Amino acid sequence: MAEALLRVDGLTKRFGALVAVDNVSMHVQKGEVRAVIGPNGAGKTTLFHLITGVVPPTSGTVRFGGSEITRLAPHAICQRGLSRTFQLTSLFPRMSARENAMLAAQARHPRRWMPFGGADVFTSARATGEGALEQLGLSHVADRPAGLLSHGDQRLLEIAMAMAQRPQLLLLDEPTQGLSVEETAQAVETLAQFLDKARITVLLVEHDMEVVFRLAHRITVLHRGAVIADDVPAAVKANPRVQEAYLGGIE
Amino acid sequence: MQKTNPLPALGGSAVVCLLIAAPFGLPVFAMTLLTELIILGLFAMSLDLMVGYANLVSFGHAAAYGLGAYASGYMLLNSSMPLPVVVLLAALLTGIVAIGVGWVCTLATGVSFSMLTLAFAQLLYAIAFKWTSVTGGSDGLAGIPRRAGPFSMTIFTSKTGFYYFALACLIGAYFVCRALVRSPFGFVLRGIRENEAKTLVLGYNTRLYKIAVIAIAYALGGLAGALYAPFAGFANTELLFWLLSGQALIMVIVGGQGTLIGPILGAAFFMLLEHQLSSYTEAWALFFGLIFIAFVLFAPEGIWGLAWRAFARGRAPAETRHG
Repeated sequence: MAEALLRVDGLTKRFGALVAVDNVSMHVQKGEVRAVIGPNGAGKTTLFHLITGVVPPTSGTVRFGGSEITRLAPHAICQRGLSRTFQLTSLFPRMSARENAMLAAQARHPRRWMPFGGADVFTSARATGEGALEQLGLSHVADRPAGLLSHGDQRLLEIAMAMAQRPQLLLLDEPTQGLSVEETAQAVETLAQFLDKARITVLLVEHDMEVVFRLAHRITVLHRGAVIADDVPAAVKANPRVQEAYLGGIE
Repeated sequence: MQKTNPLPALGGSAVVCLLIAAPFGLPVFAMTLLTELIILGLFAMSLDLMVGYANLVSFGHAAAYGLGAYASGYMLLNSSMPLPVVVLLAALLTGIVAIGVGWVCTLATGVSFSMLTLAFAQLLYAIAFKWTSVTGGSDGLAGIPRRAGPFSMTIFTSKTGFYYFALACLIGAYFVCRALVRSPFGFVLRGIRENEAKTLVLGYNTRLYKIAVIAIAYALGGLAGALYAPFAGFANTELLFWLLSGQALIMVIVGGQGTLIGPILGAAFFMLLEHQLSSYTEAWALFFGLIFIAFVLFAPEGIWGLAWRAFARGRAPAETRHG
């Protein structure tokens, strides 16, 4: 089998005495929807920060698409085809949803920095951006300022922006964070349909177990920074260590 | 990206025609005032590029003005190059220096960024004081000629000719700025203004964009300064002083930031008010301060924003009728 799209090997991050991520290894295959779960403080978000270059690791390597990306700057990693969303919604609130998606798409255009003219850059960014909005079912709010969208639509818009970059790997950091029960159900339905059609490789950090079991093909369980399970959803559910560390702890 | 509305273009052309016709109708002292206004308007507009479009609030934009003025003054006094060449060279030099300034200042953001721009301007101020052999120290450079050069391009150096040259610089700079803010580059600047962290993670090297816009803004500010030296015939340390930086910021905010045209109006408003108020009272700055506070509190969109709002209000009923 070819090398996994994303290979994380022996990744460790220490903040002083605290080991936030402890010797984590995982391989995400092309086309896979992988979830990373774990109780609060298990190191899920730190792992994301390490992969996307926001925080440098203490040791270990991250390889993406066959080449090493450890310690590259975030924008350089992003340019390799790895787009992420954030736990807290981060948008351009006064731009329309369409402009948000366009700016995301433009970042992949070779002439994104053109200081004059650029009508063709805008045309292609618009086409890509509107396509991404449609994938996430947001076409009907394209003209609305992003700051005025409902919370659920804002989360979906973030994903649309990531998709407008035509990434090889999409990283979603708690896509349903802060949504009400109804909003979550709706957003998950949209996401599931979108993932079925888009066939994109996804790495997903999520708290909500129902969301994870609905969306993920394979689950990695973190506990106190270390991997305690890495398997298909049914096996993870049945794993006694996981139940002890996480599932039992909640309900 | 927007539907074209013919009115702004028509209105703009009318104003430009008036400005072109001005030397034929206005007395000499008014032409002097108008020339200074054009130079100051160009200076304020260049600052708007940073403040209004990239949220880079500079407290040291006088650095650009003073550097341009000293560079053009020095070249006019010590070389035989004609005025237009000198002015453009001085602007270019300011832009090149600004790459370094931008590189240092963008290490910080927010208030720290503003303080670094101020520190850099104060540094130039100190240099201008001490480096007497080049800058003339506290006397500054005096007797700066408007040199026609070997091809005796006197069309640029007569009083009216110089006015037209300054006007051409302002209009040219306006179109450069307008193209810039409407380009893909300008779209990225908008992103930086609204949410720099997000712009960065989308894959834009935001620092390079900021350094680029600082260099362009300084080059245009330097162009204004480079015009001022031969206009006034002197360049002194006041052109590098923080007071001028503050005044430029006031012009941008009162005129309407992020509009390019607004700051030009802000400069005009500032100059005319200074002119009028100072003939009544020594404390004109106090009254100007009150007006500034009123704008910040009640009309943060500035003169240009107020004008647009009044215009839209007058127009809205008509549009619903036809729509």
